[in-house]
Amino acid sequence: MADFEIKDLRASVEGRQILKGVSLDVSKGEVHAVMGPNGSGKSTLSHTLMGHPGYTVDGGSVLFKGQNVLELEPDERARLGMFLAFQYPVVVPGISMTNFLRTALNSKRGYDGKDKSKQVTPKEFRSMLKDELEVLHMDDSFLPRYINDGFSGGEKKRAEILQMAMLRPEIAILDETDSGLDIDSIKFVADAVNRMRGPELGILIITHYTRILEFIKPDFVHVLVDGKFVLSGGSEVADRLEKTGYSEWGKEETAQPQEVA
Amino acid sequence: MVSTEAPLEDLIFRGEPDWLRENRRSALESYQRLPAPSKTDEEWRRTDVSRLDPSAFSRFEKAPAHTTMATNLPKGVILESLPVAARDYAELVQPRLFSLAQAHRDRFTALQAALFTGGIFLYVPDGVEIDEPITGRHFSHESGTTVQPHTLIVAGKNSKFNYLDEYIAEHDDEAGYRSGSTEIFLGEGSQVGYVAVQKWGRNVWHFSDQRAELGKDATLRLFNVTLGGKFSKTRVEASLAGEGSNAELKAIYFASGEQFFDFHTLQEHRVGNTRSDLLFKGALQDVSRTVYAGLIRIEKHAARSDAYQANRNLVLSDKAKATSIPMLEIDNNDVRCTHGATVGPVDPEHLFYLRSRGITEATAKRMLIQGFFGDVLDRIPFEHARKLVEAELESRIG
Ligand SMILES: Nc1ncnc2c1ncn2[C@@H]1O[C@H](COP(=O)(O)OP(=O)(O)OP(=O)(O)O)[C@@H](O)[C@H]1O
Ligand SMILES: [Mg+2]
Repeated sequence: MADFEIKDLRASVEGRQILKGVSLDVSKGEVHAVMGPNGSGKSTLSHTLMGHPGYTVDGGSVLFKGQNVLELEPDERARLGMFLAFQYPVVVPGISMTNFLRTALNSKRGYDGKDKSKQVTPKEFRSMLKDELEVLHMDDSFLPRYINDGFSGGEKKRAEILQMAMLRPEIAILDETDSGLDIDSIKFVADAVNRMRGPELGILIITHYTRILEFIKPDFVHVLVDGKFVLSGGSEVADRLEKTGYSEWGKEETAQPQEVA
Repeated sequence: MVSTEAPLEDLIFRGEPDWLRENRRSALESYQRLPAPSKTDEEWRRTDVSRLDPSAFSRFEKAPAHTTMATNLPKGVILESLPVAARDYAELVQPRLFSLAQAHRDRFTALQAALFTGGIFLYVPDGVEIDEPITGRHFSHESGTTVQPHTLIVAGKNSKFNYLDEYIAEHDDEAGYRSGSTEIFLGEGSQVGYVAVQKWGRNVWHFSDQRAELGKDATLRLFNVTLGGKFSKTRVEASLAGEGSNAELKAIYFASGEQFFDFHTLQEHRVGNTRSDLLFKGALQDVSRTVYAGLIRIEKHAARSDAYQANRNLVLSDKAKATSIPMLEIDNNDVRCTHGATVGPVDPEHLFYLRSRGITEATAKRMLIQGFFGDVLDRIPFEHARKLVEAELESRIG
């Protein structure tokens, strides 16, 4: 039995069915890539897995640690060990990154304002931050800023990975963390993810393009088209997409990005 | 409270100078003469006072305000109870008292002018700067009473200081009639930070006028915090009377239960090269209601003036309701002016983002409410008041 099992997941947005029966087994220690053209349902999958209220589950189940996570609140899913790096990280005015990170970390540890022993100490917090910032080539000037406020596209994506590194999930879903990043930023992100890679973490990398997979080698690659997996295999699937794009499924798009400046 | 005159003389007027007794009598006449607000009045259309009978609260609390710093104030500064100042410094008080908040204009202002009890007079002479903030704390002690403090502030030329008025109920569930009005006169080049924190009991009727007149190059940073009362009506008015003057008018309110808050603001640009910047932000819970109506008036000769006005409401419950009415009256084309209002719930995308990191819904909401107030809290003109307001807000957000 896999650690994280998606079974026949069907979901819709505003009455329109997008996911039409998605099944996937992810075990800790594995890296799965989910590739697909625009609009194929990749973000619908990531949002549905995390419990976004705008997506309706029409059927299926997602088993993790003996629970059907589809029945849990988003924050319960996160505390159980799931993490989503957003394709489009949200700007939240009025809350500093530091406050956000600290509160998230405390919540993850079950600190509810009462049992101080569970609370992350300032010292521990600082040292965790320092390490991860270095790997991600970020300076700490953004910490007092509001969540994602005024961050460049690349900074937002790196901040997502920073959060992941702090929260130490067991199942991480990275929704197009690579898109919009220049090659250096992709490498920083890949370094940070590779550092976390190991027997305690299962990763689902959602991407449109093959490039990030050169830096984070996947164990499995799945191709999502029109809300269904049409092909699954090892890393050779990515090589095939690199050459032919999504044309075999009637989509014009390539799987290689235009160079970003 | 206005039934017979003799007890009033005993209660309030006794020992006061003739001019003040005369003013009080005339204000009382205005109160009796002015018609009760009616729903056909634009200002009172959404604000119902038909069930208020001030005479039901005929016992007056006259507890003097507590002030800080009375001892080590710079030379020439006067910090005194208002009735005492009216007697001892009539030449400073008489020409100004109730000249901005005018008794004949409004019934409840008239009541304040007629029956104010206690309150504070602050005079800071020309060129004097005070580093430490001065605070006035006004208390109520009982349910069913009337408490009407009044603050009069006179800032001399190029003076600079911060002042905080705190209105505090001994019991949070007190009923009664409360006010807490302020008139501020800013002399040329003066810089005044003023903060008022209204924490009267949850069941009181509250009326307040906060009015300022700014001379040439004067700067006012006013911050209003409204938390108490089952009914609270507050007018905030800045009259920009001198070129180069600048008024920052900010407020936060947090309404819960059945509270009703009404705010009327006026940014009056009487001369050119003046600037006003208003931001009122409120959060509403439960079945509370708020009304904000703000007017920017730019007079004919007030060219090259900037006026900004924004009212933002965070509505946290389906049954709470915020109404926002911005208004402009501009008689000069050479001005910059923006206004805007928003009324809406917590952004579900914000909430989801926080929750996706393991933060519980309750904590996430609390963070978002605090975050909503964050930018305006940063505008509280001095640290002491900022800390106080943050703590107060935190305890109410829960
Ligand atoms: N909130 C929404 N409201 C309406 N339609 C939506 C919403 N979210 C997604 N959709 C629709 O669902 C389909 C799948 O969208 P989704 O975002 O899952 O695609 P994707 O594979 O992530 O695409 P991309 O590569 O552009 O990120 C699209 O047709 C999209 O228009
Ligand atoms: Mg997407």
